[in-house]
This record gives sequence, structure tokens and C-alpha cells, in this order.
Amino acid sequence: MIAIIKKELKNYFFSPIGYVVIAIFLFIFSAVFYDSAINTGTTDLTSIFLFVAAYGGLMFMIPLLTMWSIAGERKSGTDQLIMTSPVSMLGVVMAKFISAVIFIIIPLIFTLMYFGILCHYQVPDIPTYLTSMLGFFLLSMTYIAFGILSSSITESPIIAGILTVAFIFAVTWLPEMISTLSGFSLMNPFLNFLMGKIDIAVTVMFITLAILFILITMIIMQRRKSVK
Amino acid sequence: MIEVKNITKKYGNFVAVDDISFTVKDGEIVGLLGPNGAGKSTTMNTITGFIEQTEGNVVINGYDTLKRPKRAKSQIGYMPEGVPLYDDLTIKEFVTYMAELKKVKRKGRKEKVQDMIKKTGLTEMQNKLIKNLSRGQKQRVSMAGALVGEPKVLILDEPTVGLDPKQITEIRSLIKELGKEHTVILSSHILSEVSQICDRVIIINKGKIVAEDTPENLENKVSSNNVLYVTVEDTENKIESIKEKITGIKEIKLIETNEDKTKKYMITGEKDEDLRKKIFTEFAKEGITIFEMKKPEATLEDAFMKIIGEGGKE
Repeated sequence: MIAIIKKELKNYFFSPIGYVVIAIFLFIFSAVFYDSAINTGTTDLTSIFLFVAAYGGLMFMIPLLTMWSIAGERKSGTDQLIMTSPVSMLGVVMAKFISAVIFIIIPLIFTLMYFGILCHYQVPDIPTYLTSMLGFFLLSMTYIAFGILSSSITESPIIAGILTVAFIFAVTWLPEMISTLSGFSLMNPFLNFLMGKIDIAVTVMFITLAILFILITMIIMQRRKSVK
Repeated sequence: MIEVKNITKKYGNFVAVDDISFTVKDGEIVGLLGPNGAGKSTTMNTITGFIEQTEGNVVINGYDTLKRPKRAKSQIGYMPEGVPLYDDLTIKEFVTYMAELKKVKRKGRKEKVQDMIKKTGLTEMQNKLIKNLSRGQKQRVSMAGALVGEPKVLILDEPTVGLDPKQITEIRSLIKELGKEHTVILSSHILSEVSQICDRVIIINKGKIVAEDTPENLENKVSSNNVLYVTVEDTENKIESIKEKITGIKEIKLIETNEDKTKKYMITGEKDEDLRKKIFTEFAKEGITIFEMKKPEATLEDAFMKIIGEGGKE
């Protein structure tokens, strides 16, 4: 399993994907930072996290990270190499999931830079900054789990990517537009973290959703093994 | 040792593999033969645990592929059909990755990887990206990936497809050498290759085993004793009258006339009797000079066609 994680992480860095993902994050984060810190003069970083999560950031970052993970292997036939090596199915799926989760921490580390800049003027609220990061991380994790799931459904990475974009759109914007769907929003629970709270219920929900998606992925792959 | 017990694989109503059983002993090289779509790859995929059989068991060195999948898989080196590889890795990275996947211990891993790269003749290009390699080189990389970690069992799906003759000879001798210590199953549609490398051949057609024997025995099964080819110089066309003079000849058929005016005939005997002695003396009496006389050599091709043909008539 560690071998696969190593290989996946290497892959993110030796292909443009990883850099594009970090670039999208930094671009949006910087733009909003410029607006809020320089133009408005606030030391509030949390609204920037919200902006990245809601306005296109995650919607493109996560699909880019996950679309190739299983669909790509199946497309090139290299799934035969992994699935016939002494690694369990759970090991393979978890390796794909964990490597994307590890990768998403990198842009979060970059935000320390903005935090540092703000410190020069006035130290921002540290607990809120940390809970925002945690919330952003948990939300990303749930999205990644779905990304892996959609990547396991199809042999086409493009379709897997589109499915993930659709999912993130559905849990971010659909509840805003159609009020009866507001229960499906993952953005509202995420807001709690931006207010400086560690919401246990929401944390559990995000983790449960991620486990659910991973389990469905396992079922799909196991079924394919016996049907294929 | 590989034990395949009553494997059946169904895709919906289509039966791809139908109740196949066979055993491969340690150190044996077995060839899986069959026309396209016969179930060779399905059988191999089941043995490697890539797909699951509908019924039956596969036991590899005592480990059932369904009950102890990790243990069973760690016995196997698999070279899939169509050599799937990671284009963005170099040869060295790929073989190292395969070694890690197979849990080769960190200590000595580098040496083992280098050893395999050397064995497959890739040492000089080991830092090249796989996407820039030729088909033959990719084939060897795939082979190196299957061999690293010294698995006891090797499953090779069409190992020599797309190689040039020199590489084919190299890979064949490599497989033969590996067969001394490993248990090998390989599939191929090149029959001469199978007869050269394999100790035993299993012919599969329409998901069933239709024959299982050594290449020699399979060839002997189809070779007929009562057919002879003779090339003669016979200017006066006396061969027409020969048929009456030798008892036991059923038919003499002209096959071709060569440029030097010699003629090639096929002589069929009535019974399974060696006619060569009679023909030699009678032809000499009649003044027909024999340039060449030989029994037809039955090849595995003939055996294959005959067996598959029989299977098809059912």
C-alpha cells in the first residue's frame, strides 16, 4: 500500500496535475486575499477559505486529483499489475484515497504564507484560522472519497472528472438554488468551522460520508472482479 | 505447483471457461494454446486472481486464490496480455515499483531490480521513459516486472508477441532457463514456440480443454504412417504402372513438377504399413531414380488444427 501511495504522490509531482491543482488554489486564494486584506483591510482569512471551497476552487482541484486514480489504471490496463500484486482491494483503494488526501494538505501549508503576511500588521485569530483549515481539509477529504468512487465507475478519466464536478456542484450550489434540497448542502455544515468551532457532528458526518464512498468503491470493484 | 480445479467462468449466459481442471507441477513449463477467444486469458486472469471464477478453485503452492488471496498472489509473477505499463516512469522506476508492490525487502531491493534489468537486457536504457521504448523493449520491461521478487510461479500471457526474431530467441531461452526453477504457464498462438519451450501443452477451445499432452505426443497422434512423399526422375512416366506392381498402394498422386523435370508424388498406402523398402526396390527395377523419399512430418500445427477441428464439429 505504501508503494502505491509513494507512486501516486510522485505522479502528482512529475506530471502537471499536481502543479495545476496548487496553482488553482493559490490563484483564487491570492486574488481573494488581495481583495480582503489590501482593499478591505481585514485580517480575516476564513472568508477566503469559503471562497476557495465554494467558488470553483475545490470543484476543479478535486476532480483533477482523483479522476485518473482508478479510471486511468483501467484505461491503460495497469490495474492488472496492481490487482494481481499481493495488495488487498482495500489497500489499493485506500492508497489512492490517502495519496490525494496527503496532497491536498500541501496548498493548506501554503496558506501559512498569507498568515505570515497578516501577522506583520495584526495577528489574525489563530483558532479560527486552524478550524477553517480543518474544515477545508475534511470537506476536501469527503470530495476526494467521492472522486475515487466516480473514478472507479468508469474507464474514462474525463467522465470520472465530470461526475465529481457535478457532485461538488450539487452539494454546494443546488441547495442554494432549490431550498427543498438544503439538507444536502455540505457547504452549510462547513461554515461552522469558519466560525471557529470544531463541530463534532459535522466532523463525524464528513468522515462517515468518506467511508461510505470508499465502501461503495470497494463494492463496485469487487463486483467488477466477479462479473468481468 | 498450480492446481486448477473445475474452473467455470460465466459472463451472464456466456460461458467463457467451462469446467477446466489441470495441474502444473513445480519446475514445469506448460503452454496454453487455443484460438482467439478460447478462454486462455480468462483462465490466466483467474489464476492470477485478477478476476474471480464463477465456480471452482485455484490453489497456488497450497494457497487458495479466494481464501488466501495475498499469499497466493505473492507466489505469482504475471505478465499480462498487451503489456500494460506506466508510460511516465523510467524502466528502473517501474521495476522498482513492481518490486515494492511485491514487498521485496528494502535491503537488497536495488540489487534485485538491477539483476532483473540485466537479465532482460535493459541495463543501458534503464533511465529511459517507458513511453519512448519500442514494443520489444516494453515487452522486456513487462517481463522484468513479472520476474522481480523471484516469484515461484510465472504466468506469461503471449510473452513473445511483437518481438523481432532475435529478441524472440532471447526471451525463449530466458523462459526455458526460468523454467528450471519456476513453474511457468504461458499462452501463445505460435505453435512452434510452444513445442520448443513447453514440457506440456494444454489446448483450449470454446472454454474447454480439448487436449493435454507433451508436444511430441500431440504431433505423433496426428502423424499418419501410410503417406509418403517421393521425388523421382521418371522420363518415361513408368510410375503409372507401378501401382499394380506393389501391393498395398492405394493412390499415387502427382503433387508438383520441378524445374529439373523431377516430379514429386504423394503415395498413399492402403494399410498402416511402411512401404519404403518395396518402393525403393521396385522403382530401381523400373529405372525410376529416387531423388528424395520422406514421411510427412506432423507438426503441432497439424495436431492443433485437427484437434480444434474435431472440437468444432461437436
